[in-house]
Amino acid sequence: MNIYQPHLMRIREITDETVDTRTLKLEFEDSSLAEQFQFSAGQFGEYSVFGEGESTFCIASPPTRAGYIECSFKATGKVTQALRRLGVGDTVGFRGPYGNHFPLDEMKGHSIVFIAGGIGLAPVRAVIWNVLDLRDQFKNITIVYGARSVGDLVYKRELEDWAQRADVKLCLAVDPGGETPEWKGLVARIPTAVEQTVSTADDTFAVICGPPIMIKFTLPVLEKLGFPGDRIYTTLENRMKCGLGKCGRCNIGPTYVCKDGPVFTAAQMRKLPQEF
Amino acid sequence: MSELQETARKLLSEGTVSVVIGYEEGPRGVRPAFITAPAQADKLIFDTRCVQNLATYLNPRRKQVAQLGRAAVVVKGCDARAVAGMIREKQIERGNVVILAMRCGGVLQNPETNSELTTQTVSVRCGGCTVREPKLFDHLLGELPPEPPVNTHRVEQIAALMKMSSSERWTFWTEQLSRCIRCHACREACPMCFCVKCTAEKSQPQWIDSSSTPQANRAWQTMRVLHQAGRCVDCLECERACPEHIPLGLLARYVADSVERRFEYTASDDPTVPAPIGVYRTDDDEEFIR
Amino acid sequence: MTHKFFSHQGLSSLVADLLTAQTRVIAPVCAKDDPAQVDYQLIQNVEEASFGVRLPRRSLKEFFLPPSEVLLHYKQTKTGVEIREVPTVAPPQVIFGATPCDVAGLAAVDKVMNWDYRDELWFGRREATTIVSFLCNVMDSTCFCTAVGSGPEATTGSDVLLVPVDGGYLAHLVTSKGEALLQSYGLPVNEAMMATAQAAQSAARDKVTPNLPAIPAEFAGWLARNFDHPVWKTLALRCHGCGACASVCPTCHCFDIVDEHESVDEGVRRRNWDSCQTALFTTHASGHNPRGSQSERFRQRIQHKFSIYPSRFGEILCTGCGRCSRACPGGMDLPTVVAELVALSQAKPEVSGQ
Repeated sequence: MNIYQPHLMRIREITDETVDTRTLKLEFEDSSLAEQFQFSAGQFGEYSVFGEGESTFCIASPPTRAGYIECSFKATGKVTQALRRLGVGDTVGFRGPYGNHFPLDEMKGHSIVFIAGGIGLAPVRAVIWNVLDLRDQFKNITIVYGARSVGDLVYKRELEDWAQRADVKLCLAVDPGGETPEWKGLVARIPTAVEQTVSTADDTFAVICGPPIMIKFTLPVLEKLGFPGDRIYTTLENRMKCGLGKCGRCNIGPTYVCKDGPVFTAAQMRKLPQEF
Repeated sequence: MSELQETARKLLSEGTVSVVIGYEEGPRGVRPAFITAPAQADKLIFDTRCVQNLATYLNPRRKQVAQLGRAAVVVKGCDARAVAGMIREKQIERGNVVILAMRCGGVLQNPETNSELTTQTVSVRCGGCTVREPKLFDHLLGELPPEPPVNTHRVEQIAALMKMSSSERWTFWTEQLSRCIRCHACREACPMCFCVKCTAEKSQPQWIDSSSTPQANRAWQTMRVLHQAGRCVDCLECERACPEHIPLGLLARYVADSVERRFEYTASDDPTVPAPIGVYRTDDDEEFIR
Repeated sequence: MTHKFFSHQGLSSLVADLLTAQTRVIAPVCAKDDPAQVDYQLIQNVEEASFGVRLPRRSLKEFFLPPSEVLLHYKQTKTGVEIREVPTVAPPQVIFGATPCDVAGLAAVDKVMNWDYRDELWFGRREATTIVSFLCNVMDSTCFCTAVGSGPEATTGSDVLLVPVDGGYLAHLVTSKGEALLQSYGLPVNEAMMATAQAAQSAARDKVTPNLPAIPAEFAGWLARNFDHPVWKTLALRCHGCGACASVCPTCHCFDIVDEHESVDEGVRRRNWDSCQTALFTTHASGHNPRGSQSERFRQRIQHKFSIYPSRFGEILCTGCGRCSRACPGGMDLPTVVAELVALSQAKPEVSGQ
């Protein structure tokens, strides 16, 4: 066994979140591995289709749910297209968990605002469910989630679950032009939705993930509310291959996204060389 | 100042170009120069050590060079053919480059030796050159030196290869190409390899495996040299760039000879002359189609 | 460290004995395509070796990180996928005539290969290999090992360093592996030998030190603070982005991972040499490339070797062998680049940046 050798997983469930985004529920072939496997929300893995290659996704399910992991992806290249051709019962390789994680222990006893756009909800979803599974250890939970259109919203069933919960404040938004006649949520871009939903930064952490442009325009809103740079958490992506610090590909200056990330604070991100 | 230096100085001071791409003395011999200030024009040199094909730097995808602005480029006849090829294939516009063509009497096979040109030291590609006075130019500079001596080394190597049986040649090339590490330095140094995405870089489908394996290496080198058929100007930059010292010039010359035989065409320094790979004539030799 | 005297005859006997015992022996050998050049190769008898002729064209890296190596075999079956592992234990081998710059390169790369996750493929070969290096006397004006903290007499990464003395070599037994190799060979040393060796080591150093002054300790920090310095835009205009430098470099180790079919249902996952100098290295699936031009890619090379690796692992990722400069078709010269940047870093604040 060498460090580049993946575990064998079986696809147990396939969910098409949107026209182009799919979620796979994976279980370890080796049940003893299934029992031992642990990870923290925010970590990622290298998922492979044998014969096609590996691709990097976060682990989109929470560590509080044992026995399986989930990943969500869009078919953009060779490996993700191949992943889409697989069916329930097919084998996927998995190497991980790699990287750092959201500091949930630090966040316990405080409030959290989760902000996500589009498929950016995938890594955030892992944290959200982790927190909801330990709900009484956190104060106020606010979720602001949006996408370009109603069709682009992911994890739609769970959005309904969160909407039903009294202990979660949920704001859903679609971009102007993306609403349907039945749409009951906000029609606004994320920065505006955050302004309208979040009233205080007191005792609160922010977790934000989405397209770079969304982050670019939402960070000033959070700063205006009084969130300091070291209480805003996000994830960075970069081209990866080994995922464990050796292939020399994912660094931004001296920071290796696969080792020092993928979770960073806004303060850390600002100090990085602007090469990502 | 030499004619070249004076011409460059004038082009820069009058603002005709923002950079003159030429040759200069470097810490380890002659190296490409990017002169942006008129006062620096006296760094430009031209002698038998100037083997590099500077046409490569005109590729608009070389953003760091392109952002310097309009360029003048120093070329030998062989290099001028590469510039013509880039114009022919719409990579650059004739009006966007100032061509400083040097009359040339040959260059050294190994510029580090800095010796006189003899039949042993001259580059194997110089003998019998028909473009010693390049016909593609904005300025034609320098004195015309005597004809270069003829180095028959490569001709002899190819003749020896052609005397082998197919399986002996296969063994020869498999052994030579076993050293190929798929670094693609040959492609990056070549002025005519300017595809935005090389066939070897495509993953859907993966036409050629990217690993250094016998079959993938053969496929890569054969594919590249065939894509160069009729386009390669025999500048030998590929061979010079190869860190594994694979005799790529043999393949290039062989394909160029084949194109000459079948299509009566040599890479032309006239951009208006169409190349065989881009043109169909009803009298094309098709004996290979049965 | 202990020392022994080792005659020329003794060296030949050792090599012959190893070959008889079926141990792989690697040494510098005259190149077939160009007898003036030398390559590290497997030898079958000691006469094939050409010690101390010139720096081999390629480094020792390929014996530990091959240009392409299989990470695993896979096979699709009716019920799923089977993986066949590759061995991580390598056959024993001894390298004779390694240059100190090549060996120091291996020691430098050990650090990243052991960073939290131990690369058993690399270390399997490292552990199976005993390295006998020679005091280098084949330096030229492109070498700069002393500037990066190494030297022609450096023992980092070696198991034995041989220094020529009358009649043979003074062997510095650097590690217990080296001691074990020479256990039944060699004779005691005397003061005169030690003095001769010391003199030879100093003389060798003196030949290299004029090429480039020692890189100041502050350089790594200056590079990190001057990521956006305007010098990067024009430093590498002649660079083709071909990656020849990375392939001949003893410390460049970046790699790609790919899957390949070998038949309809079987194949391999491989790791292949790759280079940050190529355009595709950091290109995202979306087409976005954080390092979209050669100036940014060349900056990465310098930053990684002289700033990032030192900040993470405590040493420069360069051993001053000069191969990158010799191999570069575009005329880039690393000592010149480093000297220019060091000068910038030491200039007055308004010129230097920060």
